[in-house]
Amino acid sequence: MKVREIMTRDLTSVDPDTTVRELIYILDKSGLSSVPAVDEDGRVLGIVSERDIIEGAVPGYFELLHGSSFLPAVDQFSEKLKEIENDPVSLYMTRNATKIDEDDDDLAVADLMLHKNLKMLPVVNKDGLLVGMLRRIDLLKDLL
Amino acid sequence: MILTVTPNPALDKVYWVDRLNTEIETPMTRATRSLGWAGGKGINISTFLAHMGLETVAMGFIAGHTGRVIENRVREAGITTSFVWTEGETRTNIAIIEKGREERPIAISELGPHVPEMALRQFLQSYTRLVRRARWVVLGGSLPPGIPSNFYRELLKIAHQHKIKTVVNAAGDALAEALKEQPYLVKPDTRERREICGEPVESDEQIIPVSRRLVSAMGVGAVVVSHRVTSDILITPQEIWDFEAHGVQLVNLVGSEDALLAGMVYQLEKGHSLLDAVEFGMAAGTASAESVEQVCCDPELVRKAREKIRRVRLA
Repeated sequence: MKVREIMTRDLTSVDPDTTVRELIYILDKSGLSSVPAVDEDGRVLGIVSERDIIEGAVPGYFELLHGSSFLPAVDQFSEKLKEIENDPVSLYMTRNATKIDEDDDDLAVADLMLHKNLKMLPVVNKDGLLVGMLRRIDLLKDLL
Repeated sequence: MILTVTPNPALDKVYWVDRLNTEIETPMTRATRSLGWAGGKGINISTFLAHMGLETVAMGFIAGHTGRVIENRVREAGITTSFVWTEGETRTNIAIIEKGREERPIAISELGPHVPEMALRQFLQSYTRLVRRARWVVLGGSLPPGIPSNFYRELLKIAHQHKIKTVVNAAGDALAEALKEQPYLVKPDTRERREICGEPVESDEQIIPVSRRLVSAMGVGAVVVSHRVTSDILITPQEIWDFEAHGVQLVNLVGSEDALLAGMVYQLEKGHSLLDAVEFGMAAGTASAESVEQVCCDPELVRKAREKIRRVRLA
């Protein structure tokens, strides 16, 4: 089956100059944990996630979680977050993020998601424009 | 791609009752049937277009649990979504259809959630991006609190910069503002108030001169106005036509006006004339009014309903 047949037909995305505060609002209200950042035509420039923002506020935060090093207190984290709230998300997004074509095969994409441990992939058409998102749950429903 | 904008979507609930009991002692009325749909003008139009195989994207503001229900149902209909989430709860609109009074359903519409400036800004960013891919832009329905009355006008301006054909179905100040941008096709929403830009349109004698001014003085491409439940008047700079559906068995009028516009956009997108488009649109509207569905998407029923449509040139 082709990706276009199983993807979520949603174009929720942000401009690269969207602020961190606006991104948090969008993620909160939409229930998404990441969204693609797109240019003015809708070409995918990267993906920005909750994790990117946490890392932006406190670089190395997730490594600290796994080690015995000092973790910043929540109030310190809050201060750091406020310092970056008006920054554009382009500063923190993952550039060159993996994206897939709407005509890709579902099994090949499932393999890709499994190997790269990806939860969600932007789907583009032959012109490189965002046409939807493929979530792990879309694949699970498809493969059942 | 056809882009539809529904600023104030709703979960539309329709109840059919044998008799609406308004007695003070026993005010309970049992529905004989009830159905619910993701609704709002643009969404209804996208629903029809998607079922007819056209690519369509639905935009608007949604919120809360009802917003989630709407988003899911819209996607299930094969429509691509680009909703902006906001605070509060999306509307639930109610229509009660009493047996024998199908032509006059009782409708209760909520105001809708307040849209903050941040959500409006996000919408405009997405719209500006998506409009470049569109062949048609359809703007429809009321504006929720927080959205300025010149909203449609601004969206039309952006669409016209990209030479996209535009359709507006609105009322009141939102319509008056939109007219300044000279949309290709306008269907004034006269359900709540029988007026267009403050002028009464109770009869054909009133509809025609008011609509004529929209095309001659304001530069609108064409105007379609519904009247007498099963009739529509088309006014273009050159012609005026009256369309009537004969022998209609009304079941559910809610959404039939949206089906009319959806059918028109479908036919125009396929390259047909405006006259053909209104005829096909009326068939879609008639098929919807004769079915329980909010928007009838069965091509066979639309084809059959077309046989009921007659048109007469008035000028």
